[in-house]
Amino acid sequence: MALNRRDWMKVAAAGPAVAAEAAGPTGRPGHHAGRRVREVATNCEMCFWRCGALAKVEDGRVVRIEGNPEHPLTLGRLCARGNAGVDLVNDPDRLMRPMLRTGARGESKFQTIGWDEALGWLAAKMNATKAEYGAESVAFFPHGVAAGFFSTLMKAFGTPNSAEPAFAQCRGPREVGYALTFGRALGSPEPLDLMGAKAIVLIGSHLGENVFTSQITAFSHALAQGAKLIVVDPRFSTAAGKADWWLPIRPGTDIALLLAWMNVLIGEDLHDEDYIAKYASGFSELVAYVKVFTPAWAEKITEIPARQIVETARAMGQAKPAVVIHPGRHVTWYGDDTQRARAMAILTALLGAYGRPGGIFLPTSIGQGKVNTPPFPVPKRDRADGAGTRYPLASEEQGVTNGMIEATLSGKPYPIKGWIAYGQNILESVPQRERTIEAISKLDWFVAVDVLPVEQNRYADLILPEATYLERYDAPHVVETAKKPFIAVRQPAVLPAGDTKPGWWIAKQMSKRLGLEAWFPWEGPDDHLNLIVGPLNVNTGELKARGAVSFEGRPFIEDRTPEDGQLFPTPSGKIELHSSTLKELGADPIPRYTEWADPPPGWMRLIYGRAPMHSFSRTINNATLNGLMPENALWVNESVAKSMGLSSGDRVRIENQDGIVSLPISILATQAIRKDCVYMVHGFGQDSPRLTKAYRRGASDNRLISRVQVDPLMGGTGMRVNFVRIQREVVS
Amino acid sequence: MPRYAMVTDLTRCVGCEACTAACNTEWSVAPGFARTRVKHTGALGQFPNLRSAFYVAQCNHCDEAPCVKPCPSGATFIAPDGIVKINKELCIGCGYCVEACPYDARHIDPGTQRADKCDFCASRLETGLQPACVTTCTGNAKFFGDLEDSSGGIFRMVYGQGAKRIQSAQVAVGPNVYYKGRKHEPELVAEVFPPRPPRMPVSGQWWGKVLLPVAGLMVGATFAGQAIAFFRQLGSGEERFEE
Repeated sequence: MALNRRDWMKVAAAGPAVAAEAAGPTGRPGHHAGRRVREVATNCEMCFWRCGALAKVEDGRVVRIEGNPEHPLTLGRLCARGNAGVDLVNDPDRLMRPMLRTGARGESKFQTIGWDEALGWLAAKMNATKAEYGAESVAFFPHGVAAGFFSTLMKAFGTPNSAEPAFAQCRGPREVGYALTFGRALGSPEPLDLMGAKAIVLIGSHLGENVFTSQITAFSHALAQGAKLIVVDPRFSTAAGKADWWLPIRPGTDIALLLAWMNVLIGEDLHDEDYIAKYASGFSELVAYVKVFTPAWAEKITEIPARQIVETARAMGQAKPAVVIHPGRHVTWYGDDTQRARAMAILTALLGAYGRPGGIFLPTSIGQGKVNTPPFPVPKRDRADGAGTRYPLASEEQGVTNGMIEATLSGKPYPIKGWIAYGQNILESVPQRERTIEAISKLDWFVAVDVLPVEQNRYADLILPEATYLERYDAPHVVETAKKPFIAVRQPAVLPAGDTKPGWWIAKQMSKRLGLEAWFPWEGPDDHLNLIVGPLNVNTGELKARGAVSFEGRPFIEDRTPEDGQLFPTPSGKIELHSSTLKELGADPIPRYTEWADPPPGWMRLIYGRAPMHSFSRTINNATLNGLMPENALWVNESVAKSMGLSSGDRVRIENQDGIVSLPISILATQAIRKDCVYMVHGFGQDSPRLTKAYRRGASDNRLISRVQVDPLMGGTGMRVNFVRIQREVVS
Repeated sequence: MPRYAMVTDLTRCVGCEACTAACNTEWSVAPGFARTRVKHTGALGQFPNLRSAFYVAQCNHCDEAPCVKPCPSGATFIAPDGIVKINKELCIGCGYCVEACPYDARHIDPGTQRADKCDFCASRLETGLQPACVTTCTGNAKFFGDLEDSSGGIFRMVYGQGAKRIQSAQVAVGPNVYYKGRKHEPELVAEVFPPRPPRMPVSGQWWGKVLLPVAGLMVGATFAGQAIAFFRQLGSGEERFEE
């Protein structure tokens, strides 16, 4: 363990601010704009990357947030959102008091109530549902680290029904696909050695627009060092603008390209023969299988010239094993997404890039402590969302949101009668919004725990206002998928505003009301932190002063020791190019290319993505970030726009195949997108009038995603299967 | 005395605007304005042969800063370390400097009615910190330092690695913000975002020759208050500009 004590000693000597931790927010002396302020090391929650932050506090207010240079992953850097966290904690639109619905659902009429009444209301509802239908009839929709306390509460209560969009609307397919291949899911932050990469391949992954601070630092570093960049995207993304090869692929044909790359790598002996021989199984099946998938075959499908397929495969082969095939994050596109992730994992294996410098590295367990609690009660019924049953490879820890909504609508396999949503806006994070609203109408009760009055809260019966990340303690961030694993704290910089409460407090109070205190055997944040940190031989005072402490890692195959366990914990103990699990399930053991429908004439495929200054729909109301990007635009190929008499800046509405019409949005007529698709940034067009800066700014892609293609293996919702057309009528 | 300069590596820049957010929150820049913004060239060329680049725009702290001369109150000046600064006490908000800047790096803060722009985070430098945009840059694309320090990174990038100023044949005023890139980026940026010729007030020469020395005298003689009031009055009138 490498600990630098020097700075800690300096801080400790600084005086009583640190010692006063029990009394309230801690801190150390710092500067802002030439004034002396108090600095608190914590981690950011403007997205889920949780970069190290220093909150600067003056007169009890956060006045500025900078990066924490002592954070081992992010090294003092913060993205636009991280810097703008100051405008979340100070947002005048924040939820400040518990609110109970008085009008109809959706009408947004509430009365403010006290916490005692609010928690009593929720406990009564949960107990009533449990008595009438069973504990499993309560479902939980969490997002983010802070949901952990509520997850404990729900398990202790006896329901297995927890489902988060991070799985079925985001990373699920890749976690399953990589686990099938290498024996372990990737996790987040994904363990990519971009710093050492000599070639980087992005398949629909739009690094630069999708910003995670440390990943961007590493990506930029690699580019500056001359790493080759191959970008596969129907859109000329930020990354494409930096690429050596931009391959504007026909949407939905990525697996064909991946198979052709395998064909070239194997056909030209560019794969890592020793690595495959030593670590992989199923190579001969793969060789036989990909033989027919020539670049010429793939050209016809993908519309990428065969010559470029060969060139890019050779670039990867030359750079191996230092090649990062970025696994992507939001990868629920077409319903065969687990298979596409498998193809990317197999390509990674052929290049010998898993467990090797410049490729994907291995996690290192640090053996943190845990809270000792009684075992959770065993639910009497299977999960309602199909995780583990209908969707055999879905994570039972993360669940299938759309399966849960389906169960709520149908009452099958059993009724779902109460929902608790934490830290997210289900109406924007899960597709088929109308179905979600319909499902809510079937509930006996719906409770939202949140910081801002997001859209879903209009439909809630009870709203519990949470303190922001700058005002609360959360369970420490334990990161094993870093080359040097670390533990980082989130601690309050200021007291909670208004009548808001930290999530841990809400969950613990609920445990008392539900008679579940045994699962919360700690007094408060310090006590909880000590339980987690206990076995790590870390001084918690030091941890809180510095924000994070790192440990030695064993990221590469040659570093591994017996305590790290099996190198490839698959059924065969080897990298499974040919998957035994998939074979048993009757699925394709090696990925197959499936032809998906193209848009009919006059229609275009809707694709969507992110902007670096926004996190989904969560930050559109932030004063600074709204100033940087107040609304989204619709990217349309220039010649398509011209043929419609449209040019950049024109305001239009978009209609999808089911007749759903968007709010007005500005056209961006550009060469930077294929003719068969349009693109918009996700998160805009929100319909909560209480979000004064975000209300009806731009258009919502999610409203137009009324159809999904569900991945039969893990339940993920393929969302790039919607076609839209532009309403020619230009709105002012 | 140092001579401060900044280098932005456009290959590393992904246009995330962490710099803008850091600057805006560090200096409470007026909503709707910014001291630094990242511009995009757009996708140039014909599909699929396209090129693009980001341009991090800010005050260039020019050796021959065109914003200094038209300033009627002497508020804008070049400090000995090369930083172009605004003495907010003297500024009358006339906006001549805004018109003059070839890089459009200045604005009038509608709240304070004073000119505002990047000053390389001068007060942070005094406490040993780097400018806020440099510290936070996710791509590690921004570098700041002393151009006189031959052992420093800025010196190496400017004199050894070909970091370039964004100038044109028409407008060459010695900017001290440099740009580099592994590929086409600096050239593309110079092409798409060339500096514009400074727009000077038609009456500027008259002010420059007659009023500034007087203003200097008045300020020196503790009549600063009256002088500023006088110039504010002047500055509030309409003025014509020419390039």
